[in-house]
Amino acid sequence: MAKVSVCMNWLDACAGCEMSFLDIDERIVELLKHVDLLSTPITDLKHPPVGGCDVGILSGAVSDSHQEEVALEMRERCKILIALGDCAVTGGICTMRNFFPLQSVLNRAYVESESNAPGQKVPNAPEIAKLHQQVKAVDQIVKVDIYLPGCPPPADAIWYVLTELLAGRTPVLTDKVLTYD
Amino acid sequence: MANVNVVINGIAGSVPAGTTVLEAARQLHVDIPTLCDHPAIQPIGACRMCLVEIEKQRTLQPACTFPVSEGIVVKTDTPATMNARRFVLQLLFSERNHFCMFCQMSGSCELQTQAYKHGLDSWRYDRAFPVLPLDATRQYFIMDHNRCILCRRCIRACDQLVGNATLGLKHRGANTMIIADMDVPFGESSCISCGTCLQVCPTGALIDRASAYLGATAEVKRVKSTCTHCSIGCGTELVMRDDRVIRIEGDWTAEPNHGLICEMGRFQPLNDKRAPVTKPMVKEADGWHETSLQAALERVATNLKTGKVTTVVSGLATNEAAQIIAKRFPGAKQLMEGQAPAVTSSPLKDMDAADLFIVVNTDVAHEYPVASFAIKRSVHLRGARLYLVGDTGDSMQPWTSRSIQEAQIDALLPIIEGAQNPVIICGKKGEALAMKIAKVVTGIKIVDLAPAGNTMGLVQAGIRQQFSANGFDTCYILAAEAQDAPQELLEACAQAKFTAVQASYKQPWMDIAQVILPTPVSHLKCGTFVNFEGKTGVVNAAAACNANGEAQVLEQLANLL
Repeated sequence: MAKVSVCMNWLDACAGCEMSFLDIDERIVELLKHVDLLSTPITDLKHPPVGGCDVGILSGAVSDSHQEEVALEMRERCKILIALGDCAVTGGICTMRNFFPLQSVLNRAYVESESNAPGQKVPNAPEIAKLHQQVKAVDQIVKVDIYLPGCPPPADAIWYVLTELLAGRTPVLTDKVLTYD
Repeated sequence: MANVNVVINGIAGSVPAGTTVLEAARQLHVDIPTLCDHPAIQPIGACRMCLVEIEKQRTLQPACTFPVSEGIVVKTDTPATMNARRFVLQLLFSERNHFCMFCQMSGSCELQTQAYKHGLDSWRYDRAFPVLPLDATRQYFIMDHNRCILCRRCIRACDQLVGNATLGLKHRGANTMIIADMDVPFGESSCISCGTCLQVCPTGALIDRASAYLGATAEVKRVKSTCTHCSIGCGTELVMRDDRVIRIEGDWTAEPNHGLICEMGRFQPLNDKRAPVTKPMVKEADGWHETSLQAALERVATNLKTGKVTTVVSGLATNEAAQIIAKRFPGAKQLMEGQAPAVTSSPLKDMDAADLFIVVNTDVAHEYPVASFAIKRSVHLRGARLYLVGDTGDSMQPWTSRSIQEAQIDALLPIIEGAQNPVIICGKKGEALAMKIAKVVTGIKIVDLAPAGNTMGLVQAGIRQQFSANGFDTCYILAAEAQDAPQELLEACAQAKFTAVQASYKQPWMDIAQVILPTPVSHLKCGTFVNFEGKTGVVNAAAACNANGEAQVLEQLANLL
């Protein structure tokens, strides 16, 4: 049987979900017998192949125009999309800024922060992605097939979801593999 | 009331008519998920988590408020009920800030538990992100409206259990907000900081400042204990992590308080800012020095063997400590806070049947808060009347029918005689007048509260005299964490040749003593107490029952005498 092709990417994320993915430890050897990891944020290839892949995994919330493009590209090129981690599933901790107007968030970070030199401005070079007014979950931008919440999701939950998919079943999270923190 | 036949999930049973479907299900060991329901307060059907299918009912019905009738057939776990509950959870999560990963309640939250139970792996609806305030105007706990699910448990607990009726609602629908009084900051409201609302809150909306983030349900253990800060002796649960008490809660199963405790019992012990006594200390010519327990005990023993000795014991001391002092210490033994009641008191539970309360010369709201809760809820919910006689403070005014002077007591007698179940509440200062009233009104009940937590236990151990400066020259004081030492005692000790104090906190003892021995505070010691009803309570801080506890130090000292 041909290997299942998997592509990963991160959006507004902290890499905690990827750390948790690596926490499946030696099981990754078994996983790679069945899976081809084509593109990930920490390997050379960043984009899923134009020809598509079987499974796409996105961690992080959608906070700016660049992340929205990444999400759209992944959705377009994968058959099954997994939202990995609370930020991808619900917006998570990134949505803390949704309780404040965007301009005051930018000012706080770039102008008012105690560690900033006086006279700093909010950067607005054209090559920098534009922050959205509101941080959104991945499923508010593109259709998500499998939700894997957790901050981060336990390694066992990630292992469970991937092995269920490899076995041809839709994973249903309960008990110890369903957590929000 | 007659029983009716019910069938829940195919299980047949017989329950009293008028029982709710939820109660009936619990009796038949059928689990129905709930959020706004709490066993100690009246159900209102606010959250809709408990929706069930009932035959011959057009729509799903809330189990917590639906009364059973003969032949009722209920199904609790059908696809329709599960979908309805998931829908309810989806709506709750979409409304305010219910992101678990930065909430101190994560791991202890009932909303989270239900979401896990119902397999909620994503949120279906857009989030509103309303900008809501956080009220941190109270000393011990915070109200974060962002985490509130409007279950109204806090309002009902304040209303029905404490009778304080501080909390209420403003606005409607998703804009509804919990408010205090006429929407003033909680810290400026009529709130008495008993923390009952904090104890019943199912989410992270009410936050205990001291124990936030210190341990979720799975990381803590709960040890049943007894509060010793007044003679009611409320049952408590010490919430402990790694052998440290992080929070104190009321024990719902305990007599006489049924889960309620007050600011004094819940918050003050863990927020005491006084300088603690950590090591035995002796006073030399050049000031205070820390020393070994053995050296300190020997110095105390030498003085106790030669002097004219009086031992003064605080009502915070355990029975076990009192027995050692009574049996093995020389000289007179006296009570720091005053004598036991002369009247055999009625139990606290009689107050919930009373239709008339007469509080005599006692500031019941401050000295015995949990007794004042019984008065407040009786006045507020059952229409009982409250009369204040003499010096009673003014905290009970909003619940009071009339305040009178002691001299006007005759005018009150016809009213008392007209009542079905009058109860007098008093402490030592009101006892004489209470007995005078009892002579005229036969059958009247008197709730006579002792002056300190374990006064009754000390008396049973044989320590009966009230403190008086009887010309002693050597004094041993078992003070524990007592705050208000009688001025007369401090003055007499300052004159005495030698004073040793066994205390949890340094002041005011450093000013008058020559030796200070450390002793654990109430929630860290082991032993027994006797409350004003004569019931024995166990004080049990499990892990903290160490070799140098209160009674153990006294035992070592007695062995040297």
